[in-house]
Amino acid sequence: MRFSPRVSPRAGGTEAPVGASGTASPVAAPGGSDRALATLLRDLGPQLRRGSAPPPDEPPARDATGLPEIDRQLGGGVPRGRLLEIAGPPSSGRTALALAWLARLTQAGEVTAVVDLADALDPPSAEAAGVVLPRVLWVRAPGLAEALRSTERLLDARGFALVLLDLDIGGVQADAVIHDATWLRLARAAAGSHTSLALLTGRRLAGTFSDLTLELQPSVARFSDAPALLEGLETSATLVRNRLGPPGLVSPWVIST
Amino acid sequence: MSTPSTRVACLRVADLPLAAELRANPEPAGRPLVVVSAPGPRAFVVSASPEARAHGARIGASCVHARAVCADLHVRVASPALERAARDTLLDAALAFSPRVAAAPPATGAFLAEASVFLDASGIGSLFRSEETFAAALAARSASLGLPAVVCVASSQEIARLAARRLALESETGRVLVIPPGGEADFLAPLPMDLLDPPDEFAASLTRFGIRTLGDLLRLPPRALATRLGPEAPKLLARVRGEGHEPPLPHHRETRCEEALDLEHPIERLEPLGFVLRGMLSRLVDRLDARGLACGPLTLELALEGGRRDARRIGVAAATNETRTLLRLVNLALEQRPPAAPVVSVALGTRGRPGRRDQLDLFRPAGPAPAELSRTLAELEALCGEGRVGAPALRDEHRPDAFALEPFALQVAEASTRKGKAPKARTKPAAPKRPPPSARLGVRALRPPQPAEVTAPGGRPQWVRSRVATGRVVSRSGPWRTTGGWWSPERRHAFDHWDIATSDGTIVRLRHDRVAHRWEIDGIYD
Repeated sequence: MRFSPRVSPRAGGTEAPVGASGTASPVAAPGGSDRALATLLRDLGPQLRRGSAPPPDEPPARDATGLPEIDRQLGGGVPRGRLLEIAGPPSSGRTALALAWLARLTQAGEVTAVVDLADALDPPSAEAAGVVLPRVLWVRAPGLAEALRSTERLLDARGFALVLLDLDIGGVQADAVIHDATWLRLARAAAGSHTSLALLTGRRLAGTFSDLTLELQPSVARFSDAPALLEGLETSATLVRNRLGPPGLVSPWVIST
Repeated sequence: MSTPSTRVACLRVADLPLAAELRANPEPAGRPLVVVSAPGPRAFVVSASPEARAHGARIGASCVHARAVCADLHVRVASPALERAARDTLLDAALAFSPRVAAAPPATGAFLAEASVFLDASGIGSLFRSEETFAAALAARSASLGLPAVVCVASSQEIARLAARRLALESETGRVLVIPPGGEADFLAPLPMDLLDPPDEFAASLTRFGIRTLGDLLRLPPRALATRLGPEAPKLLARVRGEGHEPPLPHHRETRCEEALDLEHPIERLEPLGFVLRGMLSRLVDRLDARGLACGPLTLELALEGGRRDARRIGVAAATNETRTLLRLVNLALEQRPPAAPVVSVALGTRGRPGRRDQLDLFRPAGPAPAELSRTLAELEALCGEGRVGAPALRDEHRPDAFALEPFALQVAEASTRKGKAPKARTKPAAPKRPPPSARLGVRALRPPQPAEVTAPGGRPQWVRSRVATGRVVSRSGPWRTTGGWWSPERRHAFDHWDIATSDGTIVRLRHDRVAHRWEIDGIYD
């Protein structure tokens, strides 16, 4: 039984329970303990919670990305305070997914940050996707070390809904070795600050430290016939790692211009 | 006398050169210390600490003499820059309590080294428990800024200053004294005429007439005094009676703060210069803190050997009072461009800005705490460099990749979210209605654009080779022409843009620069 700190002294083991008649008996009669417990529960009401073990943690709050296919795949959205890795080659829809997520959060009044090692954020494109630009803190990190330290600092600051770390340099993966301890530290900082950390890469980097890993694969670029216009991109997202549920779900989706 | 309700506080430092030196370098506190007029043995002593005076060091004596009478004497050269900063600090300490503040006019004679500030203390006792509490708080604030001082509250500026002089003579710094309304005459009566510091000839005349205390002076009729001692006498009497000096009036104060230091020895390396800058930044931040301000962009001026000067502006992404962060910014600026010669003098200034305030809202996410956000922004800028941290904003022009990086501020973000307004007029107005989040093809910008080898018979790209995409062009659309900036050679541009999909599966934005006659890829559709 788990009591709140405001439990009455009568709940202590040294004091005899009060029976239904209101008289105290030195030794509880058989069946009397049940009655005493019932009385206690009635008296304490909502102050008392049943169960010998602590209640299970609340399910993590989830942020919808704004893309129904991806949200369905992730079980309702991206859980807060987790490390999500979005990996894929160029033109696989990583940026579209990231911008849709940023748009969803910033339009809800959240503050977000983009740590941009690649210096690849395109503000017109972001605004066209619906991102509220003044609610995005853009950190144009000059190097990998600065990008990682900036990310850690932003996570420590708390209050950001999402920190997006873009480590994909111009379509060519940053060939830098990032120690496991760094990912561990970042994942813990994200969990501690209740901030989602999204990693945008060309190939998987965070390994087992990632809570969720989405791998994107492009399939077809769509161009209209006459006049020839870029209409969109067909791609597919595979949830290759999921600590909170079953992995392996594949979702085809279409990105339009 | 002034009206009974008029109350004035005087915050006084008796020996400003000494106090300024100890404020910048507190190490010799409690030891024999003299401040001399110039470097070299022929300089004379300007100020001496009580410990040095106890050893026989005298003001006006030569530095050699002072060293002879006190073997372990610390000698510092007077620094006008330090004294100026200390004088401003005294004013900042007073401004922490009241906007009605005025610096006392410079004293002469025996009180040449003093610095005083007057505050209008009328009614201030209601904010504190009593005037004594207020005076103690003011003295404590001044001490926290590195300037131990005495505080006296009286019914006029001159009486408060006389009381402060009297208090400094008989006690250590940090004491406070409140002369109750109506008690001025009794307090002044036994004070010697020297506290008034009259001109020498006038003082001799007063002595000849047997007037040795302020009480003697106050008893005399002004007209008869003027007849015998000349027109200076009534003026002196008016000062003692507290006439003609109204409490300071409130007026807008400059928020600029500056700390300066003349170095005794030129500094060549950045590491020792960092130590100097740390102390200066710490003092600067303390002063801003006292006035409820935070440090904005810094100006750093270095006087170099050979008469050259090195001035630079150091950006601070968000106003902060974190000394560590500010020092990091300054060090970064110095490392990027070290001084060309040894440094002989340093001046560090900033314009104080109001600290961040944020009204929490029940119906929107809280976001980062304003103070924490300021620290974070300043640290990020120190880490990544100036102009690399902020909120992206669109520029109102057609040049591709035209954007600005605005200072990141939660208030601006909030206003933008609620009203759909852009933070500044020079940026492109935000779209009145934002599109709902959807899967829209994004663009990854390539900065700078990547050069590409393109086979384009008839101007239509057929084959591309570059760092980001290589292969046969399987689909294309375009060209989309963008031109502008024809009035300026630097801004002139003319591009033909193509959206192409290559056989390696990449969709890129290819452009033909019609001015430079080359092909480039400036973005990847992703």
